[in-house]
Amino acid sequence: MMARTPAPSAPSATEHAVFLALADDTRRELLERLVRHGAISASALARDLPITRQAVGKHLDTLQRARLVRAHKTGREVRYEPQLAPLRHASTWMDGLARQWDDRLGRLASLAETGTVTPGDEPST
Amino acid sequence: MRDSIQREVVVKAPQERVWHVLTEPAQVARWFGQRAEFELREGAPARFRWDDYGWFSARIERVEPPTSFCFRWAEDPDRPLEDSPSTLVEFTLTANHDGTTTVRVVESGFARFPTERQRAAYEEHVDGWQLELDELVALIDALPEAATP
Repeated sequence: MMARTPAPSAPSATEHAVFLALADDTRRELLERLVRHGAISASALARDLPITRQAVGKHLDTLQRARLVRAHKTGREVRYEPQLAPLRHASTWMDGLARQWDDRLGRLASLAETGTVTPGDEPST
Repeated sequence: MRDSIQREVVVKAPQERVWHVLTEPAQVARWFGQRAEFELREGAPARFRWDDYGWFSARIERVEPPTSFCFRWAEDPDRPLEDSPSTLVEFTLTANHDGTTTVRVVESGFARFPTERQRAAYEEHVDGWQLELDELVALIDALPEAATP
């Protein structure tokens, strides 16, 4: 059987959430801090940032919705812990998309150079 | 990494020939999906078919022979472009001195709201930002395994 043209791969809801959560400089900064320092409180996170503790809390909520951050309650203190799996997942998805484009461009090149698609790459119709 | 994918290939063929393969629907159907239907003009509706998935609606956004070709296409099959999240695909052809042609493709717009409801949920507007995922991933990869939860 001949190889099919790889079908388009739309980002899943999970990837969308990750991309959106990271679409903000402050949230990326917060996530980087959490990755560097491990689980810390929102107050500690906000300490040397030019934004309010409330704003930090709002950004942390968004990161939590994307499952990039998990809240842990220890006594009266809530610490935020970075969750890296969704980030890696999004990165893997982007890599897969890059490979799809490499395949498409490879077929385009083959068509332009020889007038045919390399055997095995011909999409079935 | 922005919220985009950029890839490039050097084709051992003249730019005009590459342009033909890039923009002629019958040719497009041989390297992008299994069927392609469109008129090569800016603003024209287009659709691409993957037999296993269905038709993907699109719109031709830019036609500047023989250097620039651009379309927006839906992420979800069998839905009008307006009713689906979509991404922008931009091709740029450059003629090289040795007679080859460089084809660059940029697909962008993955990090936008899938639905208006979700946009409302975020209560903010984030169009036009850049996603610097690679910096974050590099940071994470540099951490010792024990430090990554």
